Amino acid sequence: MISEPILKVENLKEWFPVRRTIAQILKGERTWIKAVDGITFSINQGEIFGLVGESGCGKTTTGKLIMKLLEPSEGKIIFKGKDVTHLEADKLKEYRRNVQMVFQDPYASINPRFRAQDVLEEPLIIHQMGETRAEREKIIRRALEEVRLIPPEEFMERFPHMLSGGQRQRVATARTLVLSPSMIVADEPVSMIDLSTRAEILHMMKTVQRELGLTYLYVTHDLSTARYFTDRIAVMYLGKIVEMGGADEIIDNAFHPYTKALIAAVCEPIPGKSNTIKEVPIKGEIPSAANIPSGCRFHPRCLYVKPQCQEDEPILKEIDLGHQVACHLIS
Amino acid sequence: MKWIDIKAGFKDFWNEFKNVKFGLFGLILLFIFILAVFLNPYIVPFPEASSRWRDITYWEDNPVSAPPVWVNWFSSTKRAPSLIIREHTFSEEKMRKMKLTRTIFEYEYSYDLPPLDVIFHGYAKGSPVIMLNIERPDGRIVELVRRPISKSDGKIVRISIAKDTRIESYNFGAKYESPEQNRIIREMVKPTSILFSEAKEGILVHPTPLKGAYKIIAEIILPSETDVVEDVYLSLSGSVSGWLGTDNSKRDIWSGVVAGVKWALLIGLLTAFTAVSIGVIYGVMSAYLGGWRDSLMQRIFELFVGIPLLPVLIVMSAIFKPSIWILIIMMSCFFWVGPVKTVRSMGLQIKEETYIEAARALGSSSSRIIFKHMVPLLIPYSFASMALYVPSAIVYEASISLLGLGDSTIVTWGQILHDALTGGAVINGLWWWVIPPGLFIALMGMTFAFIGFAMDKILHPKLRTR
Repeated sequence: MISEPILKVENLKEWFPVRRTIAQILKGERTWIKAVDGITFSINQGEIFGLVGESGCGKTTTGKLIMKLLEPSEGKIIFKGKDVTHLEADKLKEYRRNVQMVFQDPYASINPRFRAQDVLEEPLIIHQMGETRAEREKIIRRALEEVRLIPPEEFMERFPHMLSGGQRQRVATARTLVLSPSMIVADEPVSMIDLSTRAEILHMMKTVQRELGLTYLYVTHDLSTARYFTDRIAVMYLGKIVEMGGADEIIDNAFHPYTKALIAAVCEPIPGKSNTIKEVPIKGEIPSAANIPSGCRFHPRCLYVKPQCQEDEPILKEIDLGHQVACHLIS
Repeated sequence: MKWIDIKAGFKDFWNEFKNVKFGLFGLILLFIFILAVFLNPYIVPFPEASSRWRDITYWEDNPVSAPPVWVNWFSSTKRAPSLIIREHTFSEEKMRKMKLTRTIFEYEYSYDLPPLDVIFHGYAKGSPVIMLNIERPDGRIVELVRRPISKSDGKIVRISIAKDTRIESYNFGAKYESPEQNRIIREMVKPTSILFSEAKEGILVHPTPLKGAYKIIAEIILPSETDVVEDVYLSLSGSVSGWLGTDNSKRDIWSGVVAGVKWALLIGLLTAFTAVSIGVIYGVMSAYLGGWRDSLMQRIFELFVGIPLLPVLIVMSAIFKPSIWILIIMMSCFFWVGPVKTVRSMGLQIKEETYIEAARALGSSSSRIIFKHMVPLLIPYSFASMALYVPSAIVYEASISLLGLGDSTIVTWGQILHDALTGGAVINGLWWWVIPPGLFIALMGMTFAFIGFAMDKILHPKLRTR
């Protein structure tokens, strides 16, 4: 998979200021919630890139930063060779035509007062695509067919409450497709959907990706779907990437103790065995992003903690071709 | 939104509304008010009251400060009500070139207090001479007036017995009155009370009513053949008049109050609509834009909240020619602050919805998000608060009018109250002049308050669960 990177993220940071008390203002103290704290990665054209991590690790924030729903505090986002970190209104609109987002909750991400047709027509009106109503309807119909809502006529008139969760997510995906973007940020697109339809939705997304040559940034906490769906995976912990590499490589040869813990936490129903809960090699809860531990961020929860871990912050190092890990255990 | 969805939504709303009793009551009242506006010409005796409220000629046949007719139901002394008699018998005599016509109006008098005036109306051409006589039930005929009309191509003739027959009536009464009672001042004479009383001692000072059939006879001499007196009728200004009596300028209060319905609805609805529309959009914008814009908009809002409306309205009405439109604009300029805070807090909530973020991700402009995604959600609330602002707009207009700064080209309830205040209605006990407009203001307020509360009750839980 040697192709041009479509998106490059360099040392991206998003720090949210914490509201200060009067005492803190007088002392001149500032505290930040470091949701994303310097991440660097690149996504190649036509690739599905997975961003995996626990809730609160900054993966959704990263998605929103790329979507330009948030302004980054520091760092650069380069899309198709152009710096898009800070954009003016008209450039931003242009950018959003190229990069689209599918949200986590299909029940919340569609205005309950819009019919499917209105939902899909909105981006066309915003970006002035399709001269006439008939022309727009043609685009809408094609998009609905692409997401396998067939026949489209039957779904166009429906309100969101007349659609199932899976159908809603298909509509939400179709909404991004009508603009024919080159990249889609999918923020846990199947986490709110019934297990039985998850695979179907993912399959649909993958088919669409192959047909249209799309690039996905797939944000998830679920390693099992990530393995099925993505080409490459980056594992995030407390605003940093701790391990990154090919999907199979990460799952089969995980190096970082955190990645290992995540893999161990995946429940697999094994036929013939009573479903025992596996021992997860991790301790405690994820710390607050406002109060990040010194040294390696993972050290308070790590079972293999060394004295060095408490002082030095590890950096990403390549341990295999395309497999990078940030851990002091390598050496 | 398609028409069918609106219809379905309205049906749901109506099904719930039906269960709120006071809301239904409010709706019935509103319906009655609207009906009153459309049926105005049929339910009032003076349909031009709205446009000719200050035209004294329009009201001149009415009695001054007469109580409503229905006081007769509660009182042992029956008062003669106002009446217009058009039916008459007509006869004609020819004497060479001249013509002598006799028009007889019959009036059945069965009251204790006589009408205040009996007025003969006609339209005369040429130079006729009109003589008015009255034939009483006791057979006595009193010759009242003999009025030659100056030559004209047509003019309205109006002969008022109360004004024009003082001497004749006095002379008639004086024949029966004892000499020592005879000295009352001629200006104090009330001709009708003499003419409708028994011919005996006390007729001038303590008259006893003489009940029975009276005939008012108009003998008209028409000197030439082309001369004519047509459209004759008799109007009696009673000592009780109309459903709500009259004021001291002879105006029929029922007509005025009904004419006021239209203005109250206009002022109330228009002000509430503009003010709430501005307020809702302002609140949503403030919520959506956030940051320093939100802060700035909220400070401006607080500035407006801080200004007391009534003094501003008084000053504005004093500077500009008081007009209903200026008043509505001024009130809208201050009433919009009402829904802002609530709408802003709702907006802050809606703003966090994922579909707003999704719309942003699609590249929607702020105005598109505000008007397409946020405002539609607030429409139910807007209607509820509109209903609640109607009464205050009406009351403010009434206050301004009460202070004498209202639009003088129309008639509003506040202006009737203002006239009552300056006319000393309370001191003189003219309760029928004060209570009806006040009551109507209260009723109109109640109507919209009930509708508003009912809508609030129905629409609010929905907003909360959404």
